[in-house]
Amino acid sequence: MAGFDRRDFLKIMGLAGTTAAMGCSPESNRTLVPYISPPEDLVPGESTWYATTCRECPAGCGVLARNRDGRVIKLEGNPSHPVNEGKLCARGQAALHGLYNPDRYRQPMKKVRRNQWEPAQWDKARAALADRLTRIVNRGRGQRIAFISDLQTGTLGNLVHHWLSRMGAPPPWIYEPFSYEPLKEANRIAFGAAVLPHYHLHEADFLLSFGAGFLETWLSNVEHARSFARFRTPHEGRKNVFVHVGPRFSMTAANGDLWIPVAPGDEYLVALGILQLAVKHLTPDNISGKLGGQLLAAAREIPLEDILKRTGVEKNLLEKVALAFAQARTPLALAEGLSFTSPHSLETAVAANLLCLVREESMKAIDFGQPSSVQDCDSSRRMRELCTRMRRGSIELLLVHHANPAFFLPRSWEFEEALQEVPMVVSFNTAPDDTSRHAHWVLPTHTPLESWGDHVPRKGIRGLMQPVMGPVFHTRHLGDILLSVGRQVRGPHAFPAENFREVLRCAVQKAGEHEAPHVPAREFWQQSLRRGGIWPAREEPAKAPPHRTLSFSFQRAFRTQESPEGLHCTLFPTVQFFDGRGANRPWLQELPDPVSQVTWGVWVEIHPDTARKMGIAKGDLLRIQSPHGETHAPALPLPSVAPHTIAIPMGQGHEEFGRYAAIHYGHPLHLLSSRTDDRDGAMERQAFKVSLEKHGRTIPLANVDGSIYQHGRGFARAMPFREHQKGLAAGTRPHLYLPLPEGYDPAKDFYPPHDHVDYRWAMAIDLDRCVGCGACVVACNAENNVAIVGRDQMIKGRFMSWLRVQRYFEEDHSEMRFLPMPCQHCDNAPCESVCPVYAPHHSKEGLNNQVYNRCIGTRFCAQNCPYKVRRFNWFTFTRPEPLNWQLNPNVTVRQKGVMEKCSFCVQRIIEAKHRARDRNEKVQDGDFTTACAQTCPADAIIFGNLMDSRSRVRKLIEDPRTYQVLRELNTKPAVFYLKKLTQNPFEA
Amino acid sequence: MEKLTYRSIDEDVLRNMQAPTRTYYYLLALCFAGILLGAFCWGYMIATGIGVAGMKHPVFWGTFLINFVFWVGIAHSGTLISAILYLFRAPWRTAIARSAEAMTVFAVVTAGLFPFIHLGRVWIVYWILPYPNERNLWPNFQSPLVFDVIAISTYLTVSAMFWYTGLMPDLAVVRDKARGIRKKIYGALSLGWTGSHRRWNHYGKAYLLFAALATPLVISVHSVVSWDFALSIVPGWHSTIFAPYFVAGAIHSGLAMVLTLLIPMRKVFRFEHLITMNILENIAKTIIFTGLIVGYAYATEYFMAYYSGNVFERDTMIWRAIGNYSTAFWIMVVCNTLVPLLLFFKRVRTNLKRLFAISILVNVGMWYERFVIIISSAAHQFDPYSWTHYSPTWVEYGIMLGSFSLFGFLFLLFARFLPTVSMTEMKESLEPPRRNHRSRSISGTGEGSS
Repeated sequence: MAGFDRRDFLKIMGLAGTTAAMGCSPESNRTLVPYISPPEDLVPGESTWYATTCRECPAGCGVLARNRDGRVIKLEGNPSHPVNEGKLCARGQAALHGLYNPDRYRQPMKKVRRNQWEPAQWDKARAALADRLTRIVNRGRGQRIAFISDLQTGTLGNLVHHWLSRMGAPPPWIYEPFSYEPLKEANRIAFGAAVLPHYHLHEADFLLSFGAGFLETWLSNVEHARSFARFRTPHEGRKNVFVHVGPRFSMTAANGDLWIPVAPGDEYLVALGILQLAVKHLTPDNISGKLGGQLLAAAREIPLEDILKRTGVEKNLLEKVALAFAQARTPLALAEGLSFTSPHSLETAVAANLLCLVREESMKAIDFGQPSSVQDCDSSRRMRELCTRMRRGSIELLLVHHANPAFFLPRSWEFEEALQEVPMVVSFNTAPDDTSRHAHWVLPTHTPLESWGDHVPRKGIRGLMQPVMGPVFHTRHLGDILLSVGRQVRGPHAFPAENFREVLRCAVQKAGEHEAPHVPAREFWQQSLRRGGIWPAREEPAKAPPHRTLSFSFQRAFRTQESPEGLHCTLFPTVQFFDGRGANRPWLQELPDPVSQVTWGVWVEIHPDTARKMGIAKGDLLRIQSPHGETHAPALPLPSVAPHTIAIPMGQGHEEFGRYAAIHYGHPLHLLSSRTDDRDGAMERQAFKVSLEKHGRTIPLANVDGSIYQHGRGFARAMPFREHQKGLAAGTRPHLYLPLPEGYDPAKDFYPPHDHVDYRWAMAIDLDRCVGCGACVVACNAENNVAIVGRDQMIKGRFMSWLRVQRYFEEDHSEMRFLPMPCQHCDNAPCESVCPVYAPHHSKEGLNNQVYNRCIGTRFCAQNCPYKVRRFNWFTFTRPEPLNWQLNPNVTVRQKGVMEKCSFCVQRIIEAKHRARDRNEKVQDGDFTTACAQTCPADAIIFGNLMDSRSRVRKLIEDPRTYQVLRELNTKPAVFYLKKLTQNPFEA
Repeated sequence: MEKLTYRSIDEDVLRNMQAPTRTYYYLLALCFAGILLGAFCWGYMIATGIGVAGMKHPVFWGTFLINFVFWVGIAHSGTLISAILYLFRAPWRTAIARSAEAMTVFAVVTAGLFPFIHLGRVWIVYWILPYPNERNLWPNFQSPLVFDVIAISTYLTVSAMFWYTGLMPDLAVVRDKARGIRKKIYGALSLGWTGSHRRWNHYGKAYLLFAALATPLVISVHSVVSWDFALSIVPGWHSTIFAPYFVAGAIHSGLAMVLTLLIPMRKVFRFEHLITMNILENIAKTIIFTGLIVGYAYATEYFMAYYSGNVFERDTMIWRAIGNYSTAFWIMVVCNTLVPLLLFFKRVRTNLKRLFAISILVNVGMWYERFVIIISSAAHQFDPYSWTHYSPTWVEYGIMLGSFSLFGFLFLLFARFLPTVSMTEMKESLEPPRRNHRSRSISGTGEGSS
């Protein structure tokens, strides 16, 4: 061919090849960029663990952050930390979604117009703040500066105080919505100290909760969950009794032996009734003397008949509770102590203390020596004053750090309007929220995981924080901003410290001089960082309160009249969202609420009978009106409330909080007035009833539960405690079909047993310990790259979580049970036999592996799974940058059309086996555990090797309360459940 | 009615192969548009994910498998008519065997698409085949889906060959009457048929062989399809009755589809004297029979659920009748078992309009039967926490419409380009022309020509 030689041919071929290659781009675009000079502690493929402190709520749990190749991919509890002992709740796990939130501020922002922002340079932003400060300070108007912050207890708190004083400004407003003012005030009344003591639930032998959701958000939920698990672990032939009194069958209430439903605000009456009825069973030394007289006088202020009539509690029942209370050695009564959830929270808190005062032994469970730092928060009254000053125009500069009062304060406070009156509002926030949208400047700060710092959850414990990875965006530490701005305003000598890290190091080393005098300062700092903080080596016994006395009148509350019309209303914080700060974490949005099983949204719990009577169906959008305001939310008929009450969760209804907090309605605090209580300074929650009105519109609820009952199918089982004791004594063995060769019977099994080599992995889940909090679910999502599908897909039933905590009501609604349901890794798995391509594959270690790459998506396996634990990738679910930075590189990210499910954290198994092989031995029990078991605050999940006769899982399944779900199908599941132990000590 | 002769049969049958009317083209275009819509929906689903369909956790199987079973079911009575009735020497099948067999082939082709559509990752569907690969991985022969692949492909092969074998002498007739390019095409298709004695001899043997091969397939294929369900452990599926139940259902729906197709065709092509009312009546009577079997199967399912004491089975059955899908359930019961009882009346089964209406109703009922079986069991399984409600989306409706269009399109092409009635067999059923003409009743079918 003329003019067409070999070279031309190659050129054209090359061009064609390039075109073809560009035409179909590969699905994943991977680039590997090696470090030229890698950081010292970074080994590719190896994880580095950094100890820090969780700041998702003031509880301050210790965290170990797993850093892989420069990015933190998983948080786990710090096992040596005294608060959480290695466990984390769902919110703690989801702190990563705060770090990698795609809506975070990426650099300083300047507001140019309403709702219009433009990025700015840090120098400019700092200069703008410094200029304004200089003008104010030079004119001597430092009092016109206000600083609102979330709870900052340690060095940063001190720096803020110092900085403000150098500016001549008043001390900061420490704003936490959950500041428990009524609880503090009640403790002042009863114990002479306005503190929030540390509660040792496990020291008690009888627990009464008056609305206190101590397993959800109350003070320190992980610690309480651990403590509660100890409290009710049967010992010496008995199981401690927990009675919950409150308007809602909450998650905490579901873990009790009895729920006494009362109207919100009537809890204190039940406490008074218990004491009145307990008198005849108490020994004289408990109720004689001055204190005894005071207690009786207070309790008898309201006649018993009135109490019974008002609360509607049966006298018979109350008598029995009173008897149990009187017979207990260390009874402990807790009250929620949040002013806005129910009316008369102070009365409730005082009445609970009244019960704690009866026996001196109760003081073993209340430690006044280690008060919680939450008590340092400012009361709502002080916020009210600030609000008034802002409205009057006497605040010239408002600095807001991580606090979000514009969201939480009721609309009647008009806080947002007050913000408009401030000439300059500067937000030191990490992501846009309801408050920072009113700012003029945003100087974005690090999230706690990127920050140096320390946090004192309670006296004697100082958790240290260190950056667990480099900053994700162009943010700064608040301390560094304050130091540099301070230097600009006050001159370099005013703030000599180089940066905040140095300030912190000096503070810690100074503490070291006291704590460990013979350790060199530098070493002490290193040690403390590595350990995660500074705390005493062993727990000290509870310290007694300053005094025990009581003079209080319940008359005022009792005489408050409520309108006879309408429904009672209780507001409750949820374990997912705390006060609402969790709402921009997709993992938390997608975690079903433990009781309602609703995701991605707000709802109103209303009793099914009431709903039927009012013609309200599920999803009907309701207008809920109080005398002070209104809110809107869809109805959810559920027997979790009494017929006269509705319950609304807090946490949704953000005006602005990023793409994931997209529910802009349903904030229940708007039902409240702007008044504060004159006694405790808390937000006042009047005793009002609400009226419901249908909008005529329905909003689909993204709930994940099909039926709320078990229909007699024995999924979540229970067994009376006494029966279990008898079974233990008689040496009864459970009837199981073990996933081992011994579990096979030629008469029943068509196929021969599997030969397992060394290991047969199995799991035991103790339903008596499981509290239903859902921490395991989020931990699993984080470990296994489980996709977040969003509200729309959730409504369509496409949720992906590998593990779900099923909630079942008993048919008479007296009991609620939780059942964590991971893949059962059956030995005789129905999924394995039906797949045409062997994608579900039975491993030599008994794992039911899902080979993603092999799966062609027939979905037969999922259809044939009786436990419904298989999840199908209906789409290729993606994560917006930088949320994908969180992905665990040890786990495949699944594409559309592929089935997936719980793998028993096979990547952890493999890692453990590698480590064991390095030691030239087999994996030992306790070498590692799955992500769900690792984080379970109640230690309800135990993972191990069934072929190891000494493993915990092997021993646990010999308990007579062990059962397998749907054993009769002969699937031989490797997940064993231990029945919940019920006891009804109050039965007739 | 004029007397049938060889010539008149040729003329009557080949009339449909003359230039069609405008209506034909409209219908063809409509079907083609439907195919395009279905193809678009499928393409869209492949590009985005199965999530655009209505399936959800735990209803992982939706309308795709409903349609799959529906079309496989349709396929069955074609073979029943063409093969089984052939072996049983039922003379009334002769006029309709060709169309019924064509219906079988097209229905299997349509049905065969649905497992592909259903797959999450259709681009690697060949992994289901036992092909040699470097990892020595075989498909899982325990899986009913592998049975399915084998059964359906066998069925498609055998029924297509059976159909084609039967066509061959007729194609030769067409070839002989055609000119130009048509002559070449039909010449190639008729594989050089000469009509020699040898050929007729071979033809007869081959036809009998395929009929014998196809006969057990009628039973086996739908039994295998039913094992997709019966071999699972899902309440409402896990039942030994499924194979006969599905076969009876398949024949029930297939016979109804034959009526649905033949009644209009008979009118359009004026085949009243070929496809006589007697034939239609015979089909109608068979529908009564299959309808009774299906009704008996429904009753047996309920009895077994009650008698077994199995709580899951019992709840599923109760829920079918009164739960979310109770409408579908009662449509199924009424259309499949009660409506066919009307055919007991001669007035009904000899009235074309009524017969046609009943055939449509049975088709609808049989579609709903598959809906009830697949969806109501999947939506209401062991775990009450995972109970849910499923409804199809526009993508699924689009694909379903596409499947009906594809079937219609193929059938329209068949009606235009191939002899829709077997001329050979019609001629065989005639009295052979003799010189000393004696009046004789029409003899039974003969093997080959003498």
